[in-house]
Amino acid sequence: MSTNYIVENLKKDIDNFSSQIKAEKVGHVLEVFDGIAKISGLSDIKSSEMVTFPNGEMGVALNLEEDTVGVIIFDDFSKIKEGDEVKATGKILEVPVSDNIIGRVVNALGVEIDGKGVIKADKTYPIEKVAPGVITRLSVDKPVATGIKVIDAIIPIGRGQRELIIGDRQTGKTAIAVDTILNQKGQNMICVYVSIGQKDSKLRKIQTRLEKGGAMAYTIIVSAGSSEPAPLSYIAPYTGVSIAEYFMDQGKDVLIIYDDLSKHAVAYREISLLLRRPPGREAFPGDVFYLHSRLLERACRRNQEYGGGSITALPIVETQAGDVTAYIPTNVISITDGQIFLETDLFYKGIRPAVNVGLSVSRVGSKAQIKAMKKVAGTLKLDLAQYRELEAFAQFGSDLDNATKQQLERGKRAVEVLKQPQYAPMAVERQVAILYALTKGYLDDVPVDKIKEFEEGLINYTENKTKKFYKEITETNMWTDTGEAELKKAIEDFKTSFVK
Amino acid sequence: MATLLNNDIARAIYLVSKDKTHTELHDVNKKVMEFLARRRLLSKTPDILERLDKIINYESEKIVVKVSSARKLKEELKKELIFFLKKRYKVKEVVLTETLDEKLLGGMRLEINDEIIDLTVKNKIKKLQEHLIRKI
Repeated sequence: MSTNYIVENLKKDIDNFSSQIKAEKVGHVLEVFDGIAKISGLSDIKSSEMVTFPNGEMGVALNLEEDTVGVIIFDDFSKIKEGDEVKATGKILEVPVSDNIIGRVVNALGVEIDGKGVIKADKTYPIEKVAPGVITRLSVDKPVATGIKVIDAIIPIGRGQRELIIGDRQTGKTAIAVDTILNQKGQNMICVYVSIGQKDSKLRKIQTRLEKGGAMAYTIIVSAGSSEPAPLSYIAPYTGVSIAEYFMDQGKDVLIIYDDLSKHAVAYREISLLLRRPPGREAFPGDVFYLHSRLLERACRRNQEYGGGSITALPIVETQAGDVTAYIPTNVISITDGQIFLETDLFYKGIRPAVNVGLSVSRVGSKAQIKAMKKVAGTLKLDLAQYRELEAFAQFGSDLDNATKQQLERGKRAVEVLKQPQYAPMAVERQVAILYALTKGYLDDVPVDKIKEFEEGLINYTENKTKKFYKEITETNMWTDTGEAELKKAIEDFKTSFVK
Repeated sequence: MATLLNNDIARAIYLVSKDKTHTELHDVNKKVMEFLARRRLLSKTPDILERLDKIINYESEKIVVKVSSARKLKEELKKELIFFLKKRYKVKEVVLTETLDEKLLGGMRLEINDEIIDLTVKNKIKKLQEHLIRKI
């Protein structure tokens, strides 16, 4: 590249430059503390309008008072001084969006942080938007295949649903979310993972895992780390859902994960208290319910007239010592269309994913299941619930009738089948095959400790021997009589060879 | 007792002293001072006065414009400026307070309450700089 070329380019750039003269509204910093600034002046400013500080720092007006404006600052606030001139931009906070964002890691303002270069974006989306109305929506009836047996069979999630993942620390909440992303390969789904107040090391681990599984080809990570200011944590989920909406507007299906909303609420509490808004229960401000409801309401399934597409939201909430009656968990439970409840006890018993089947529900239910899965998993939840009850009784004595004994044995096997290692999502047709074997009683005489081995062998065997059955499920979502007969025979054959 | 806002006090002072003769005004001022002292509001006087100033300006349709420029403004230009400002802000009177600042290089900068019209060379260069180093 010659110097002439650079000079010519610069000249051209300068020729193209035109500056418009306009009157700007300004204010002056009265006080700055903990990522918050009080500003005088700035009349006519809108709520959530962006402001800029002299060194280029950005902020958003949250509190509009009689004489002052309370602003949250997104950058390092240490260089902002009292008396600094603050300019209103006239724009509501926006994030850049484009197809190039797929596979990238961005911060809460949509700026890349993975060192792979600037993301070219020709459009911006406002981070706050009113959720789509009733007219534009369609009921949820298409499944999201999570690849996790217990979820796909018992607590199915549909496209456009909001399903909460709730549990104590270290119970595998993020694992479920990551597995779900990994399983979206080839499912025509864009995934957005919003990390709120998480350790950077944890995020890096997730990113590496997704890259390894080839999932970054359809995933975007929005990160607001724990070392960053609270305002970034506060806007991160809204940024994530705006990116998701950009893809939904193209008619695509999007899966968004908020990991996690309890830290989001804590960040909002911090901002609210610093802005001197009155504290309520657990010192959260009064509008903490609206904070989450307006976010989760943006998850929806649009009808074809409005472009189709959907946003499925999987918010995560962390409980303290299993207390689901705390403020944030109850709020989010009431907003979402069901919850996956994870328990520490189950986790340490070796039942992983540690899903408590009794407390977990999906309010959309079996509408979001394929027909074949509906058929095999229909009674599974009830069976498991009965097993848990009987299990408690069985501890008192050993005089049990045969029917009860059989139910206990079946239950034990069901629990075993539903166990699944991390990062090993299973295709839905395979899930149907093994659950078919379970519910039809083929596993009843296989020893409990051999179930895993049996399952693995059976899947491999049937996949080779019952191609028709698998094809039917992938193509028509249900088996025919011939397919079923083929599977039955294959299971029996495999069982004979397995016992030997 | 409801808290009294400085703005309300300033407005009340304006209303009681409006259209008063010189002697009457003296009496009003005394009463205002007594009131402020009784309610322990004397420490807030500077803010109240500032607000009173704004209210008087607003009511008498007057604006105070701070003009910063690199060189002293010519009388003709000032007249033109006052004409323009009267039209833009729909006021009867415009008061210009001038300050010289060589760092502005050229042009001028007008400050009207919390609105700024920056026509300086310095600002243009800054904008050009932003344009040239923008992220592509």
